[in-house]
Amino acid sequence: MALRTKLSFACTAVFFIAVVICSGCVQTEDSEEKVLRVALTTGPDTGGSLDPSISWEGWPMRRTGIYETLFSYDENMNLQPELATGYKQLNDTEWEIQLRRDVTFHDGTIMDADAVIYSINRVLDPSNSRSSEYSFIKNVYKTDDYTIVVETNESYAPTILMFTDTIMSIVSPDTENLDTEPVGTGAYKFVSFEPGASIELVKNPDYWGEAPKIDRIIIQYSKDAAARTLLLKSGDVDITRDVLQSEYATFEADPGTNIVSKETLRTYFMYINEGKAPFDDVRVRQALNYAIDRQEIVDTALEGVAGSPAVGIFPDIMPWSANDKIEAYEYNSEKALELFAEAGIKQGSDSRLYYNGEPFTIEIQTYTKQAAHQPMAEVIAAQFEKIGITTTIKIAEANSISADAVAGNYGLALYSWGVAPVGDPDYFVSSHFLSTGTYASTWLRYSNPQVDEWILEARAETDKEKRTKLYDMIQEQVQNDAVLVCIAYKKEIDGLSPNLKGFEIYPNEYTFITKEMELA
Amino acid sequence: MLNEYFIRRVLYLIPVLIFISFMSFSLIYIAPGDPAEIMMTSPSGGYDEAAVEAFRIAHGLDQPFYIQYFNWLKNAAVGDFGYSYMSEQSVFETVLNAFKNTLKLSVLALAIALVIAIPFGVVSALKHNTIVDDACRFGALLGVSMPNFWQAYLMIIFFSVIVHWLPASGFGHGTDIRYMILPAAVLGTGAAAVMMRMIRSSMLDVMGKEYIQTARGKGLSEKIVIIRHALKNALVPVITVIGLSIGFLLNGSVVVETIFGWSGIGNLVVDSILSHDYMMVQGSVLFVAVIFLLINFFVDLVYVWANPEIRYDKTS
Repeated sequence: MALRTKLSFACTAVFFIAVVICSGCVQTEDSEEKVLRVALTTGPDTGGSLDPSISWEGWPMRRTGIYETLFSYDENMNLQPELATGYKQLNDTEWEIQLRRDVTFHDGTIMDADAVIYSINRVLDPSNSRSSEYSFIKNVYKTDDYTIVVETNESYAPTILMFTDTIMSIVSPDTENLDTEPVGTGAYKFVSFEPGASIELVKNPDYWGEAPKIDRIIIQYSKDAAARTLLLKSGDVDITRDVLQSEYATFEADPGTNIVSKETLRTYFMYINEGKAPFDDVRVRQALNYAIDRQEIVDTALEGVAGSPAVGIFPDIMPWSANDKIEAYEYNSEKALELFAEAGIKQGSDSRLYYNGEPFTIEIQTYTKQAAHQPMAEVIAAQFEKIGITTTIKIAEANSISADAVAGNYGLALYSWGVAPVGDPDYFVSSHFLSTGTYASTWLRYSNPQVDEWILEARAETDKEKRTKLYDMIQEQVQNDAVLVCIAYKKEIDGLSPNLKGFEIYPNEYTFITKEMELA
Repeated sequence: MLNEYFIRRVLYLIPVLIFISFMSFSLIYIAPGDPAEIMMTSPSGGYDEAAVEAFRIAHGLDQPFYIQYFNWLKNAAVGDFGYSYMSEQSVFETVLNAFKNTLKLSVLALAIALVIAIPFGVVSALKHNTIVDDACRFGALLGVSMPNFWQAYLMIIFFSVIVHWLPASGFGHGTDIRYMILPAAVLGTGAAAVMMRMIRSSMLDVMGKEYIQTARGKGLSEKIVIIRHALKNALVPVITVIGLSIGFLLNGSVVVETIFGWSGIGNLVVDSILSHDYMMVQGSVLFVAVIFLLINFFVDLVYVWANPEIRYDKTS
């Protein structure tokens, strides 16, 4: 019997040893080839399509470096021509775009005006779920093989910027199936894709620009932040996006890893339901703004590394931000109490706040898809409690909060937005501060005729200086109206191996792999 | 006899599946949230009402609940499971693909579970109430009570970060066994613990039976007595546990799949529920249900094979 026990132990041992030996022999890599291993959070949706013009699949596709757009942003949010060489506004409604010559797609097809128009028309097609965003376009036509003209229905200032959206990726017109075989013009070519798991790329030797420096890239997707962090620690990847903020110090101290962080275009803020008393009183909204200590929120919920305190809705890195011109709501609990008192929310003998004889209570709703939301809401609740507001937090799914918000059934909702996916202010401003905007009308219930007028004027104003002035005024007014409680600007934190050079964080969240990246 | 039983079981499947599909459809329908809004929410954070409305109409989401369900049922009856709202890909192909990945992990996990459970279960029973038995039972307790995610991180830290034997996570094209070992080990050890306890008690039960004494009395070697006579009979009740484990393994584990970046059916089901992707939820839930029902059926058949005392006939 002892023998049998030994046998079974031996069997188990043999099994594990075999497995370990196996693990040694499968490793067959060409040592000459420079392979970059990357861990990203999410890829194309589960079972996903790789077509950049389906909903927002363009985001994960852009990150791979397969596709390019006519214009794009560099790492400091400067607009730059990409597949275009420049543009000219012909009149109020016509924009001429000159295209880069000598660009070929990965399948050898020439990138010219026809290919560009083909790509644009895929988005304009009414069957495209996002075609309404481009309904400002009346017509697109070519004047020669490398020049196109975009005609708009009316004067529309963001026209050129709308072509930086990843949905406007220029695709090869000769491809059979863009769902599974992406063919673009980028520095890296598609090799294979495992839905939900990984994507593999090789360098494009015929790239039109500076030659890419890495031979092969393997991107694996991992939704779990701890798992991504461990991938970098074990050396299985050379770079991982969004590492745990709590690991920042560890990585910084470790000579085997580098850590980089940068402000993005994502802003954490709270919606205020103006349709519900007492939030309809601007003094109450201002008081809420004064009642929170943004620095403390950043230092605790974001551990001082994953963000910076906000002023207005647009982060400083956004070219249209008026943060240096508008007044910030500096933490001031006395001022908050004063404003509350003016609005009829008074301290009781127990130094709690009372509104209409009832304890003044606030519910903050939030969702947890962004990891910082919940800790942030907790810190804010504690700050509100400190001045006597009874505060509760409700964690729900984003779409259940949205249902509540549309029904008017909420007080505050903590959200985060990439406030300018195409780098233009109109996107956020029109949806949140224009009376007819989706979020202004159904969430905030905010309406200011003066702001409406400025927004419509700014949208049509193509003179950059005049337009800037208008957006400055809009940002100042909504700050005074305290439409939102802006909290912090998110910083992206990425961990990488010291061997990887030339990597930059792009504030737009969708540019990741670039030709500049290099493995030492 | 068996044919008739088989046909009867298959016929039972139909109402069960219709019931399951109706339940999953209504639950996801009642749950707060609007699929059109979720699909049309950009990664920046927002949605546009006009676009949401257009999506709703394009996908028939503006229709009343029962019409939506019957439309789905009608198509599903002829094998058309529709397309994902999210990725616009065929539901059937997506589910099948995810299942293939889960299957690979499950087979390895089951092998690991059996390799651990059978010897340790038998030893534990034979060394009943000794230190060896205690150690085995403690191991089993640990295996059952340790949460999957915790075990997964511990194993990654040891095998990947410290000794660098195995990759921390990843898919490895779904063919590289190195990527499967850790997730399969996490899944397998959990299942092994339950099986081991079951084998142990079943073995104890059988070892006391008269036919074991008889076998010994015939002068058979102890090895033959244990393996041929005791273990074979002891495994009959264990089949149910193994069958159930297979069922759970095949339905994927969200925790393990998420941590190891394995794109299996568990993740698919949860993702599609979270995004209210009705078509994908229906397709994957139905698939999972069929797998469970088939396994149950198969377990019943194995029963007959393993224990001639059990018969399926008209009167049963």
